[in-house]
Amino acid sequence: MPAFSIKTDRMDGKTTLLNIEGFLDAHTFERLEEEINGLFAEGTYRLVVDISGVDYISSAGAGVFIGAITEAQENGGDIVLVNPTPNVLDVFDLLGLTQIFQICKTKEEALGAFR
Amino acid sequence: MPELIHREIVIPNNTEYLAEVRKTVKEVVDKSRFPVEEANRIILAVDEAVTNIMQHAYEHDLEGNLEIELVLEVDNTKFEVVIRDSGKSFDPNDAEAPDLEEHIKNGKRHGLGIFLIRQIMDEVIYSYKQGIRNELRMVKYAGGKKGKVKENKTG
Repeated sequence: MPAFSIKTDRMDGKTTLLNIEGFLDAHTFERLEEEINGLFAEGTYRLVVDISGVDYISSAGAGVFIGAITEAQENGGDIVLVNPTPNVLDVFDLLGLTQIFQICKTKEEALGAFR
Repeated sequence: MPELIHREIVIPNNTEYLAEVRKTVKEVVDKSRFPVEEANRIILAVDEAVTNIMQHAYEHDLEGNLEIELVLEVDNTKFEVVIRDSGKSFDPNDAEAPDLEEHIKNGKRHGLGIFLIRQIMDEVIYSYKQGIRNELRMVKYAGGKKGKVKENKTG
């Protein structure tokens, strides 16, 4: 079975880094959803999500970000994605999400992307 | 004789098996002349179709199997997948195309898989034979669309 993992770290006082690795599909998306909902429940709405280790994403995985970005932005935060693989970026493109999400090359760049 | 690659797998109604489906599709499309980006999209479309059947025809927790048949015409660079299940009737062609802007605003996700399938595959044909099974046939041709989304219900 594919490995899927999420690691959460504080970047600064206001921003949390999520490192995701593995397949983000209809089998694994709920774990990410739970993680993000947990952060929202703690009042953390500024999320940098490093997806460089995500080998594959389907609409179920992308749907987690779609479901979360409005709530993050409405609470003064955002979801900034870092370094997607070409395969994952193509899925975001197909769904039109590259127009919606800020996508950065590095975590440092992502930190500076919050408005 | 034109070279044909044919694979068939049967999986239970469990998203745990999606990775196995993708691996099998990859093994087939890797033998084609589809560019890597298109091959990856085909894998995605099959994943989305199988996921939809699990969510709608089998409603997640019903017991049942999905038969997935893959045929690659190597010379014509034509890929065909047929997915059969005995769950509830579910025609992806009946689903409305999502308004992505509205989806994002409201945090909705349904319909995204079908949206992707329609963008990727050239033909999506669903048939239902009452009391027997659902059959979803999807085709991808090299170099673009040759067919349109069609519907064919029988039984």
